[in-house]
Amino acid sequence: MASTWLEKLKSSQKTCLIQDGRRKIHFTFSDGTELAEEYDAQTWELIIRKWKKKGTLGAAEKWEFEVGEQLGPKNLEMEGFIESSSNPVFLRKDIKDAFQWRIRNLPYPIDTYSVTVDPDTHTLAIRTTNKKYFKKFTIPDMERTQLPLDEKKINLAHANNTLIITYKKPQEILKMEKVLHEEFKKMKAMKDGDVDCTPS
Amino acid sequence: MILSEPASDLVRISLARITHSPNRINRLPSLHTNRMAGATDIKVQEVREITRIERIGAHSHIRGLGLDDALEARNVSQGMVGQTEARKAAGIIMEMIKEAKIAGRAVLIAGHPGTGKTAIAMGMAQALGTDTPFTSVAGSEIFSLEMSKTEALTQAFRRSIGVRIKEETEIIEGEVVEIQIDRPATGTGAKVGKLTLKTTEMETIYDLGQKMIESLTKEKVQAGDIITIDKATGKITKLGRSFTRARDYDAMGPQTKFVQCPEGELQKRKEVVHTVTLHEIDVINSRTQGFLALFSGKYTGFLALFSGDTGEIKGEVREQINAKVAEWREEGKSEIVPGVLFIDEVHMLDIECFSFLNRALESDLAPILIMATNRGITRIRGTQYQSPHGIPIDLLDRLLIISTNPYEEKEIKQILKIRCEEEDVEMSDDAMTVLTRIGMETSLRYAIQLITTASLVCRKRKGAEVDVDDIKRVYSLFLDESRSTQFLKEYQQEFMFNELGMDTMETT
Repeated sequence: MASTWLEKLKSSQKTCLIQDGRRKIHFTFSDGTELAEEYDAQTWELIIRKWKKKGTLGAAEKWEFEVGEQLGPKNLEMEGFIESSSNPVFLRKDIKDAFQWRIRNLPYPIDTYSVTVDPDTHTLAIRTTNKKYFKKFTIPDMERTQLPLDEKKINLAHANNTLIITYKKPQEILKMEKVLHEEFKKMKAMKDGDVDCTPS
Repeated sequence: MILSEPASDLVRISLARITHSPNRINRLPSLHTNRMAGATDIKVQEVREITRIERIGAHSHIRGLGLDDALEARNVSQGMVGQTEARKAAGIIMEMIKEAKIAGRAVLIAGHPGTGKTAIAMGMAQALGTDTPFTSVAGSEIFSLEMSKTEALTQAFRRSIGVRIKEETEIIEGEVVEIQIDRPATGTGAKVGKLTLKTTEMETIYDLGQKMIESLTKEKVQAGDIITIDKATGKITKLGRSFTRARDYDAMGPQTKFVQCPEGELQKRKEVVHTVTLHEIDVINSRTQGFLALFSGKYTGFLALFSGDTGEIKGEVREQINAKVAEWREEGKSEIVPGVLFIDEVHMLDIECFSFLNRALESDLAPILIMATNRGITRIRGTQYQSPHGIPIDLLDRLLIISTNPYEEKEIKQILKIRCEEEDVEMSDDAMTVLTRIGMETSLRYAIQLITTASLVCRKRKGAEVDVDDIKRVYSLFLDESRSTQFLKEYQQEFMFNELGMDTMETT
């Protein structure tokens, strides 16, 4: 339900910071999981949402990006091996009234792709007829609010080597986001830069 | 075996082919120039590996305790010779460890130098297998300037307790389509590589780092293999060859396994069960994270650089982890695997360490402690008091004591024979008798040291097997401990600083 997710966010420890025109909010939950969100300060567009979970043994794992992508170079020697930059890059980048995914570096024509919904596991799957790309993914927002997925709401577009998948946000999600934004506006945000120090 | 009849025929044919054309690997149809460089690279590695010589350690011939099912010691077995009583006792301790019910028992192996104390401990480690933690430390390792004695002992204790737990890891599983390794034209510098993997649904190209290239060459991964890569550790496992490649008349052994190309996504999450020690969990949890890493992911790698050795671990961290492990155990998520801590030369510990051990052994998370010493009645380090084995009576009272006896002539001969085999030395019967004689009169260790030296002398004169003369030669070249003492006694006057007139050198 939408309310349980809201309650979870409310019960967490929150820090808010406005920096580079973004409102950055950091949540720490009771089990040690961290969540960081970045919104555009003007339009309230969600730019980044990333999670950091604790491993079974207590080791901190890397940030997992739910929305947005990690910028900055990856070090090949440190990682051992990384996916080549010519591979398709999958990332979620929402717009106001829809969830949206962009897969870059996919040069094949639009009729190559098909997106299906598996209602049992609440996952979407992208398939290619030439067997070059396949990915299963979920919409965590829909899982958190326990809303069913609808295949009819999916829309595909292809341009500039990029496949764009759009899924219309249901009313419940839109309503919840509005409530959240109101809550975030109430939070006292630290301003970046010099600390105000008026001598008394 | 999942091989069907025609497939095994193919294997046989391919085996026949390999004898005719050993260089087939370079004639695969899908190869282009870059691949060839990679393939020849693999070949060079192969040749090097065959000629690589294993390093031989003092106890590398020991493979177990050499006991039968009824815990009776076989006279010569698994590299162990003689000491039947001591080995039988060690076998009973082993049963105690395997049952894993009793914590904090301690065993002392006492005996003369060179009577196989360390060998028995090593045998126990071998017999317990790799899943039971076995920590081996020397008594003097405890004294470090970086951490206190008790911290070093606590860490050694916690290294010897394993926790078997399920963890989720990310793996990449797919069929190798192409592996391409380029060396820079100058011949030196880092290699660059690309690996293409596929499943039935997709295909991905990976850029390879130096380490990954090395482990791929080591595993001899080639196109058509189905492999898994553990994302966190980079460990590669070969699952077999793809069924689609079963028709290639390619170089493959009879043990080649054919598997289906994996389905779905390349990257998967999988649950694995593994054993970690309490100390490892301590280290993981005492790493601190900076606030820097919160908002920019790029700092995380940077911070990882600083999270190496941790030195001393806080008491609170340990308490938290003990609580957590107890919780997991109650929930059935994990299992405790008590291991063995072996402290060699235990007389080097001082009175503080001994009193700490008294206390530490009472904890219910204590491993089985095995100690070894070659001292008789001597001063306890850090006190003026004399005690058997240099260990306080109150601790001795908690120990089960196993003693080892000097070897007999027959046993010494047997051990020397085993060592000859281990060090790959051929020796004539006469030479062996002479060497055994030397072993009886001087020490077993001295006799063992003469094996390789004598074989080198023998090789210089181009002999096939070590002769009595070779043994005589090295015996005259290298003094044993008693002849050296004799020499010193005779020529004491000629040595430096003797004119000062001190009777003996002060040694405390």
